Amino acid sequence: MAADSAGLPSNYEFWMQKLSVWTQASTLETQRDICLHLPQFQEFLRQMHETLKEMDSNTIIERFPTIYQLLAKSCWSPFILAYDESLKILIWCLCCLIKKDPQNSRESKLNSWTRRLLSHIVSTSRFDIKEVGLFNQVLGYAPTDYYPGLLKNMVLSLVSELRENRLNGFNSQRRMSPERVRSLSRICVPLVTLPDFEPLVEALLTYHGHEPQEVLWPEFFDAVNEAFLLKKISLPTSAILCLWLRHLPSLENTMLHLFEKLISSERNSLRRIECFMKESLLPEAAACHPAIFRVVDEIFRSALLETDGAPEVLAGIQVFTQCFVEALEKENKQLKFALKTYFPYASPSLVMVLLQHPKDIPQGLWHQSLKCISEMLKEVVEDYGSYGGPFESWFLFVHFGGWADITAEQLLMSEAEAEPPEALLWLLAFSCSPGAGHQQRAQIMVEVKTVLGHLTKLFRSPALSARDLQAAAEENQGGDPRPPACQQLVRRLLLYFLLWAPGGHAIAREVITLMAQTDAIMNEIIGLLDYTLYRWDHLCMEARRSRKLARELLTELREQASPRQVNQ
Amino acid sequence: MDSLLEHLDRFSEVLAVSRTTHVSTWDPATVRRALQWAGYLRHIHRRFGRHARIRKALEQRLQNQWKQEGDSGPTPAPGLANFQALGHCDQLLSLQLLANPALGDASFHFLLQQLFPGPGVPDAEEEALQGSLARFARCRAAAHMLRFHAYRENPVLQKDSVMKTQAELLLRRLQEVGEAEAEGPGRLLSRLWERLPQSNFLKVVAAALLLPAASPRLQEEELGVGSPRTPGDGRQELLRWLLGKSDIAVAFCRNLPAELLTSVAGRHPELSPVYLGLLTNWGRQLHYDLPKGLWIGTEPQDVPWEELFSRFQSLCQAPPPLKDEVLTALKSYKAQDGDFEGNTSGNAMNKAYDWGKIFGKLHHTTFLCQKKECKEDEARKYKDDLQGTEAEI
Repeated sequence: MAADSAGLPSNYEFWMQKLSVWTQASTLETQRDICLHLPQFQEFLRQMHETLKEMDSNTIIERFPTIYQLLAKSCWSPFILAYDESLKILIWCLCCLIKKDPQNSRESKLNSWTRRLLSHIVSTSRFDIKEVGLFNQVLGYAPTDYYPGLLKNMVLSLVSELRENRLNGFNSQRRMSPERVRSLSRICVPLVTLPDFEPLVEALLTYHGHEPQEVLWPEFFDAVNEAFLLKKISLPTSAILCLWLRHLPSLENTMLHLFEKLISSERNSLRRIECFMKESLLPEAAACHPAIFRVVDEIFRSALLETDGAPEVLAGIQVFTQCFVEALEKENKQLKFALKTYFPYASPSLVMVLLQHPKDIPQGLWHQSLKCISEMLKEVVEDYGSYGGPFESWFLFVHFGGWADITAEQLLMSEAEAEPPEALLWLLAFSCSPGAGHQQRAQIMVEVKTVLGHLTKLFRSPALSARDLQAAAEENQGGDPRPPACQQLVRRLLLYFLLWAPGGHAIAREVITLMAQTDAIMNEIIGLLDYTLYRWDHLCMEARRSRKLARELLTELREQASPRQVNQ
Repeated sequence: MDSLLEHLDRFSEVLAVSRTTHVSTWDPATVRRALQWAGYLRHIHRRFGRHARIRKALEQRLQNQWKQEGDSGPTPAPGLANFQALGHCDQLLSLQLLANPALGDASFHFLLQQLFPGPGVPDAEEEALQGSLARFARCRAAAHMLRFHAYRENPVLQKDSVMKTQAELLLRRLQEVGEAEAEGPGRLLSRLWERLPQSNFLKVVAAALLLPAASPRLQEEELGVGSPRTPGDGRQELLRWLLGKSDIAVAFCRNLPAELLTSVAGRHPELSPVYLGLLTNWGRQLHYDLPKGLWIGTEPQDVPWEELFSRFQSLCQAPPPLKDEVLTALKSYKAQDGDFEGNTSGNAMNKAYDWGKIFGKLHHTTFLCQKKECKEDEARKYKDDLQGTEAEI
């Protein structure tokens, strides 16, 4: 509070000056300026109210001698009155000025002035049409009966004029001129959050004139996007699609908003992230139009690089892709756009295979798909073909994160005596360490092969001990220490072992305690469990026992990690 | 039930008083009581909205009040118009009190505290009122903004937003009043005719007659489930009243533009014989002035030829069956004219002869106009030619 009121005097001066300029003349420039400042001005009004309500009216006049001018000027601008909650806050401020018991004529005068102003902004009756007022009066209707109906009719009429443009092209007499459309978009800026305006906002967004350049105000797009992100307006996906296609900054803002949610202090479960993702309409829009997909993908790529592969960003990419593929399937059975437009830097056949949903392939044939993927990727990565370097391939691959985990599970559950297929080992090594050189990758493959060898032997045995597992996962004495990425991979294998092996359930908790040496590793395990459950849900995998165990472990570990928050 | 109706009566009085200078006697406690009563009625509305019997009884009571405020005396001030209005009667009361300068400062201060408690209000009721008042003010500001910056009066009257809204309200009111009492609508309309600027009122009537028939589902949503009203009733009442009062019908047909009347006549076939009859009569007033070579009227208030012509032309461009009706009528007049051809004795006969000739021309020109789809000036040219030929006779 103290900090606020310290900043308030300088803010006050700033806004007082602004208002003086704004009420001088109502030109396009001033209107634009007002629209740009509406959210901040509202914030200022809120702060003012917080300050004013603590004082009595005499103190107010002492502290802010020009307060009456400030409030009066604010009330003269219809843009300010129309915006969001500004009108309500102005009313609150004016209420602070009303004296219950004026002592002298000056106070009386100020009081009645304030009352008039209040009554004016609540009823704005001076703008009413006289004939209409008389008509309503004789009919017995009050403005509360009349105005909602009038607003609805005006909106409908404007919507039909906008639509007419689309249908009749040049020949329609009723065609709206571009200036009028532009001015309409300007008026809508403060009013996008008024529910009665939704049809008009939608009609403007989907309006296509015949002019080569954009006719709508950019501030309009910003206002709509803000309102959409704060859930103050509800629009159909087609309208949002138009918004993002016509105004790139809106799409970028939506992505930023999404990242804020992903990288928040609370660790979000993937279920929740999926919820955010679907609400944001990004996957749906991306499925409808490749341009949007490409922009989103590009932003994800940059984020991944900037954060050095942060798991939250990775999770975001995977959830996004999952929702995107679902939306694509729902949209159209045959793709409207070629796959190449969505993934221009990848070989189409690779994309086709990756896009396949594992649940659409019989489990016995998963092996085949994995081999296929591995071979195609290997070709690109090791031969530096025409499809970009290892990072591009890896980036593509991690979109469809499920395949790496399926590889791990498949390897674990294979026959104890059989040789694990090279292709699958390569895939696993590649997924955890894309930047590794040929030599390094070979080393990783050898390590993994050894660990797998131990684990597959232990898989069927009924009675296990934590010691057994620890031994299996141990590094080779005397060799080079395992790179961290490889360590991670081994932990993943261990976890899957615990979930799938019949003897694993009994020793699960013990093993995990042994593994989770640091907080970071604990978080990693929690993330892995969350992701596994999420993946199994989408695969519609039964696996009741494994699921149950995974869920229990997840809850317990989350409790341990942050006892106060149980994040579901 | 009785106490509920009593309550309603009391509150209506309170509402009426809140507009007058009498509120200067209200202290904060009175204001509180008034607001509480309003809150109670709002609660009733919410509770019994679907309860047909209670709803009807309340509705009746409200309409009775309306009837009492009656035909004579000053214009009744807006009060509770119908059951739906109970849903925001607190808003109504608040707005009236806020706008009333006679309310004492202490009471006003108290009112503000009740209406605008500020952010973070725990009481849902208070928050609802605060929100709805702010929303209403915003809605009004939005309507004004649209009107100043984006609105263009629609040349097609019945599509103009302001006209349409007034028409909708008129119909709604007619239905409500008609429910309570059979003669209600007629009396209401007569009262409106007396009190309002006539040309504006006639336009609203025309717009009301041309409103699209609302879908039954929409009506239900607006009026609430269980409402026995049917959409067409208001329009029927309106038409009946219009056709029943000959001077008003004359004013209606005389003052409104041709296109509008054609639309109304097309939509409501009962009007077309009346309209045609009037046009016929007006036509009869004209006679042919040989020296000038024009059809002119004898009195200054007679309808001039051009206007008559344009009205007929408009009618002939209407879709069937109206178009056919008009053409048939014109043909029959021409035939009547044929009977009188050659008989030039006496003024009366002259008039009859002229009359036939008028319609002959009209029929000719409008008919031809239709066939050629020619514009009005071309028709006039043709008409002039005909007149020229006439002059030679």
